Amino acid sequence: MAYLTGIAVTAFGKHPGRGPVDLMEEAALAALADAALPREAIDGLISGYATTYPHLMMGTVMAERLAIRPRHAHQAQVGGATGAAAIILARHLIAAGACRHVLVVGGENRLTGQSRDDAVKTLAGVGHPIHEVPLGASIPSYYALVAARYLHETGASEADLAELAVLMRRHAADHPGAQLKKPLTVDEVLASKPIATPLKFLDCCPISDGAAAVVVSAEPAGAAVIRLAGWGEAHTHQHVSEMPDDVGVGAKLAAAQAFETAGRKTADMRLLGLYDSFTPTLAIFLEAFGFAQPGRAGIAARDGRFSRDGALPLNLHGGLMSFGHPGVAGFLAHVVEVVRQMRGEAGRRQVKDAPLAYCHADGGVFSSHAGLVLERTA
Amino acid sequence: MSGPLLQSCRACGHVWQFRRACCPACATAGPEAVTAGGGGTVWSVTTVLRAPLPELDVPGGYGIALVTLDEGPRIMCRSEAGLAIGDRVQVAVEDDGMPRAVRAGSELEDACGG
Ligand SMILES: [Zn+2]
Repeated sequence: MAYLTGIAVTAFGKHPGRGPVDLMEEAALAALADAALPREAIDGLISGYATTYPHLMMGTVMAERLAIRPRHAHQAQVGGATGAAAIILARHLIAAGACRHVLVVGGENRLTGQSRDDAVKTLAGVGHPIHEVPLGASIPSYYALVAARYLHETGASEADLAELAVLMRRHAADHPGAQLKKPLTVDEVLASKPIATPLKFLDCCPISDGAAAVVVSAEPAGAAVIRLAGWGEAHTHQHVSEMPDDVGVGAKLAAAQAFETAGRKTADMRLLGLYDSFTPTLAIFLEAFGFAQPGRAGIAARDGRFSRDGALPLNLHGGLMSFGHPGVAGFLAHVVEVVRQMRGEAGRRQVKDAPLAYCHADGGVFSSHAGLVLERTA
Repeated sequence: MSGPLLQSCRACGHVWQFRRACCPACATAGPEAVTAGGGGTVWSVTTVLRAPLPELDVPGGYGIALVTLDEGPRIMCRSEAGLAIGDRVQVAVEDDGMPRAVRAGSELEDACGG
């Protein structure tokens, strides 16, 4: 059994003068305080990576900064899925009896620690060094290729995708730590400058500074018990050139495993925390998991299905699209929000009741997938 | 100019692009190098208006397509403007090593500078 006992997220946006280790330290200490655990209780540490500080041993760097000596420490690296995969790995370490409290932490100054060109160039490097990167492909263009295919196959429109950006912005407005809060309309998304067709600027998440941390423990702590009930991963390809014809297949494989290990069905979920690097990412996930009909994710969002008072509230902190995206901490913020909601601590963002939630992230271009079913058991 | 270089399995005939020692379909080692005919169909296409490097930015952007070659593999190409999913294209690798896709039947020589 593994439980999510501590959570923390910094504000996302600009943290000038603060490096990845500073930001991760802030989130880690806050998560420990949230779990009411002393530092020395942490016997496992899995850190993310930072593009602004590409260290070989970030896990140990963080252990040193926190002045702890865990029995297990390393840096995990599967792109956007890193946080989700690290939480699953923490569960495996606990199940193996190797650790009792594993700190998962990610964060970096991706916005202020480098130029925007450097950030875009680094991220483009997930492409193939011979067959993709030299062609001038970027992360948005990899996702644009998938988005164009998605629109072609489903008949959904760019305006439908824009609904998802509008929804994320609306949710972010209620979170004091969100990077982007100015209300957004579908027309504004459609009129924003084109990046790689069909993606416009406002279909893309921002680049941010920030950090987040989650403590995974062998036993529950606190009044509300949040159990990691199910977990699943799938790694179907790295490069978009070799992605399967069904662009949602990796997501489906990971989710199926997560629901199976949890002994739950898609229909049991009451709250969602889904990776939303681009509007099509979110649409493809919602439809692959069966939370929306094929091609209908945007329309369902417009009709309120994923709003706070809807049937399946989604990314109530604003997601990557509006809360922000500092790399590994991006998805961890989804988990933090979901746990906060499940505990009933979300203040004016609070949903009515959410005993079961599904969280999912991808790394690369729908390459690596990791999904979590969270269950409130007390 | 020539067709894109591919690998072909001597046992099962599967054809792919990324270099591997073994066939991804049947794991037989020792694939054969083959040159694609160049004919293919656009699986997806985008016009990139914000390049990953400022020096790559060109006015009006440049096209990138994923083309399913007639031999089977899907490969990334620079593409001429105006291509749509499902269009038949001809792919040729130019002297700079970049595969470029142009609409099938058009003049390869003077098409697709970007
Ligand atoms: Zn073979």
